[in-house]
Amino acid sequence: MKWSVLIDRFIAFVLVIAGWQVCSIYFGPIWFSSPLRVLDRFIEEARSGDLWFQTEYTLKAALYGSLLGGIPAALLPFALRRHPVASAILDPYLVGGYGVPKLALAPLFILWFGVDLEPKVALVASIVSFLVFFSTAAGVSAVNAQYVSAARVFGATERDIARHIVWPGAIPYVFAGFRIAVPYAIGAAVVGELISANRGLGFLVQSGATDFDTTLVFVALTTLTVLVVTINLFVSRCERWLLRWRPPQQRLAAGAAGA
Amino acid sequence: MTVSAIRPVFPAIQRKRLLVPVGRIAVGAACLALWQFGTIAIGPRWLPGPADTVGRIWELAISGELFRDTIVTFAEAATGMIVGGVAGAALPFALRLSPRLLAALEPLISAAFGLPKLALAPLFILWFGIGITTKVMFVASIVFFLLFYNGLAGILSIDPRLVAMLRVAGASEWIINREIVWNTAKPFLFSGLKIALPRALSGAVVGEFIAADSGLGWYIQNARSINDATGVIAGVAIVTVLVMAVNAALQRVQARSLAWRPIAKDMAI
Amino acid sequence: MTAAPPILEVRGLAKRFPPRSGQASSPWILADLSFCVAEQEFLTIVGPSGAGKSTLLNILAQVDDATEGRILFRGEAIRTANGTQLKPGWNCQIGYVTQDDNLLPWRTMIENVMLPLRLQGRLDVGAKDRVAELLRATNLIGFEGYYPHELSGGMRKRASLIRTLAYDPPIILMDEPFSAVDAQTRAHLQQDLLRLWNLGRKTIIFVTHDISEAIALGDRLLVLSKSPAKVIAEHPISIRRPRDLGNIYKLEGFGDIFECVRRALQ
Repeated sequence: MKWSVLIDRFIAFVLVIAGWQVCSIYFGPIWFSSPLRVLDRFIEEARSGDLWFQTEYTLKAALYGSLLGGIPAALLPFALRRHPVASAILDPYLVGGYGVPKLALAPLFILWFGVDLEPKVALVASIVSFLVFFSTAAGVSAVNAQYVSAARVFGATERDIARHIVWPGAIPYVFAGFRIAVPYAIGAAVVGELISANRGLGFLVQSGATDFDTTLVFVALTTLTVLVVTINLFVSRCERWLLRWRPPQQRLAAGAAGA
Repeated sequence: MTVSAIRPVFPAIQRKRLLVPVGRIAVGAACLALWQFGTIAIGPRWLPGPADTVGRIWELAISGELFRDTIVTFAEAATGMIVGGVAGAALPFALRLSPRLLAALEPLISAAFGLPKLALAPLFILWFGIGITTKVMFVASIVFFLLFYNGLAGILSIDPRLVAMLRVAGASEWIINREIVWNTAKPFLFSGLKIALPRALSGAVVGEFIAADSGLGWYIQNARSINDATGVIAGVAIVTVLVMAVNAALQRVQARSLAWRPIAKDMAI
Repeated sequence: MTAAPPILEVRGLAKRFPPRSGQASSPWILADLSFCVAEQEFLTIVGPSGAGKSTLLNILAQVDDATEGRILFRGEAIRTANGTQLKPGWNCQIGYVTQDDNLLPWRTMIENVMLPLRLQGRLDVGAKDRVAELLRATNLIGFEGYYPHELSGGMRKRASLIRTLAYDPPIILMDEPFSAVDAQTRAHLQQDLLRLWNLGRKTIIFVTHDISEAIALGDRLLVLSKSPAKVIAEHPISIRRPRDLGNIYKLEGFGDIFECVRRALQ
């Protein structure tokens, strides 16, 4: 990493913060709050443990929903692989389901499941499941026919092929699916909270805005951003470790696609 | 198809050809049956039946309320798309002129992508009130980031050797922009637009969930608050059909013009 | 050549792919192809590129099916005139070294080499010893834990080769295995192959478009015509083994056979 680039980035960051401060002085603290206030408030909320209390709620919804939706969705393409007729029959429904705007379903889930964690989990699960399914399906169908052919010649059964060739070959795609889904999962949890909740980062944003407490809003937004970026980094790290067999070129492309 | 020309394997293929469409209809029918069964089992207060839902949609259509709400939502989505789309598409072109600026802003841009735009809704309400402007700005922010991301990917994928080659041949900056920059970025931008329209619609609906007094999203949220399950399902059904129709129409347009693009790019939804 | 029965007999093999939509019929790729292979013989097959050499090997390995013809393996019919139920590798009796090394990228080199033995449930001490010896013979000791993308092209080829040799099938098919590497590496690989072949004489059917390679390696050489391919010439190669691949082209017999084959291919 070149020093000049780092310095540039630092300067850019400082300029943005300074600009923000200027705007808050010029327009008044109600509209933008100010970097100093936000920092203060952030530290205060973090110290009191309240910030984690709220973050935990959003995080739980996103995590449970991702697992609930993502795991069956990742397994389905492997099951469908050996049944092309079933796959063809289900295809329009899956594509259609993908096209349904899941966020619009939020009030429906709230109606059915109440106002606590459950509707948010359902919302997140519905979004993550489709993302992971289509990503995994692409991986399963991208299986290298030559590997399969060669393996058959030296005695591999269908189960061997699934275990040694299809599954490892598709794992990068499963990961890509989850990685792409992270911001959507958290976004869905937040939307659920915006509509109806009494806890969570989305709730903080909402209640802050209603109280004209812009500082709190920005604290919550910053926390959200940090959360998404951190989880992304974590997932990418896991991905890179699990996929260390990949030639460097492919890794680069995957990284770029994920950014 | 004369019988003599058909090898013994054909009837099996014919059978298979029928199996898929029949299977699809069967699955669809099964879903409807399951829905009806659910209504009976859980009770129409929680799960209105298909018949009730259709009935309510019909009512709304006749009374004109469906039309009014749809127009409102569409207007918000369209305006937001234009505002956000123009800004989002133009910015990468501007940033391209200074690679140094681009590199300097990169971590801030990545962080901005990390923020779920939907979380900005209450902030917009704070700033712009409960009126139409809020929803428009909300949609605009969603579309802006989408097109900016896609446009940026397009700009970054420009082969600098091509640019160098044109420069050596004496082309002006304007020609370089037109020939290489625009053409390389075009498929990315179009793919972004294709994703943006349905997103704009659902963004408008979500915006209305939070603060509105008209529009499809408002209708759904209102129905929920008075425990009108039929209203909620009917509203959701209408929004779903609308978004899927828009999706399908855009799919058609894209299939004709950009058929060569790999599937993986679209998957960025 | 002798009274011993051939290990492989191919009679009247013909192949064409099903016509694409819109076409009336598709051209024959192989037509009336017949030949025999003796036990422990190193047979090389030369033909112009695209002549269907890979198709032939795919059919012999049971990865693909012919349209007509019969194939007998040790007297047993692999393919009868009425077609066949494909059994790739024919119970691991027919090994196939393809043009691409086809090593699984997510397994280390040693895992790749041992994979056939593992799948066949034959990972006993004898097998492990054999693998160790093969690694030594091809200079791959020390690279066991490397992933394929960390190995050079030549090393991947060698690994692919010993992956098949490790489970010891009586016949090994090779589809231009050395065409994708540079000339230097190819010379080394050819030497390695002959050395390995010496350790345990198997039957090898080696396909290539390189005439000198075919002569240098084989006991007998078949020439295939252009599409539709059939055997148009056969040359026993009497150059004595062990062969010095570096100087083989200087030997007297070499030039004559080379000329004959080259003319036949035109």
